[in-house]
Amino acid sequence: MPVKDFDRNVFINCPFDDDYRQLLLSVVFTVRYLGYKPRLSIERADSAENRIDKIVSLINESKFGIHDLSRIVSTEENQHFRMNMPFELGIDFGCKKLKGGKWSSKQILVLEKERYRYQKALSDLSGSDIKNHNDDPETLVAVVRDWLVTTERIRAISGNRIWHQYNDFQAFLYDELVEKDGHDSVDDVQVSEIIMLMETWIRDRKP
Amino acid sequence: MSKKQNSQHVVKDDDGWAVKKGGSMRATRHFDTQQEAIEWARNVAKRQKAEFYIHGKDGRIRSKDSYGNDANPPKDKR
Repeated sequence: MPVKDFDRNVFINCPFDDDYRQLLLSVVFTVRYLGYKPRLSIERADSAENRIDKIVSLINESKFGIHDLSRIVSTEENQHFRMNMPFELGIDFGCKKLKGGKWSSKQILVLEKERYRYQKALSDLSGSDIKNHNDDPETLVAVVRDWLVTTERIRAISGNRIWHQYNDFQAFLYDELVEKDGHDSVDDVQVSEIIMLMETWIRDRKP
Repeated sequence: MSKKQNSQHVVKDDDGWAVKKGGSMRATRHFDTQQEAIEWARNVAKRQKAEFYIHGKDGRIRSKDSYGNDANPPKDKR
């Protein structure tokens, strides 16, 4: 069965907790702004579908994969390492290397917080191109933009200009969700709802 | 979708802070500190009777003030 939009789909493998929320939104915005389709495991709410099947399906449907390993390290004593992100990176990498056909054209971006920190936990990635973002959404916008532009050989406005557009979108969110809809904070609204508003905003406002 | 409005924004920009007009992709001015940017931009917003947004480092709205001449302006939200 043909995979719809394979060449435009970008699988985003990252945490969905509050701590990462603003980084996630900046990645999704940049991907969407450049005309690609972000694919996240939270997009499908079918509780009958098991999580790993959902992940495998998204990876199978996506030419691109963005994998953020910045949260695999536990921040507190007696906290477990978070292995979902490297596990899903492994599936994506395996798909690229072993499945053949168009899947061998898959492009993978691996992100970390600090340069070289991943090597302590995942030395198999030594020699791979890993980009760091320092937990800064402005940096992340530029990193994702540069990667897509280089990989796809497309022209696009600078990361700084996309960042300014992202800030305009945040003002729009505040007006719509807090002032019009009565939420106490934009942060009270689910990421999937924010992404829907993002798609509308980009469609209507992008120059 | 809300209608376009006259607005001024203080946003993080590289190592400093920028003031930009809503809808513009270019900064009007750059400042080393957020406080300097806020003071300058607030005066512009007052002169232009504009909405005034202060963004945090992550882009989120930290506060908004309205200097429009609407008969029923929105209250300041901080």
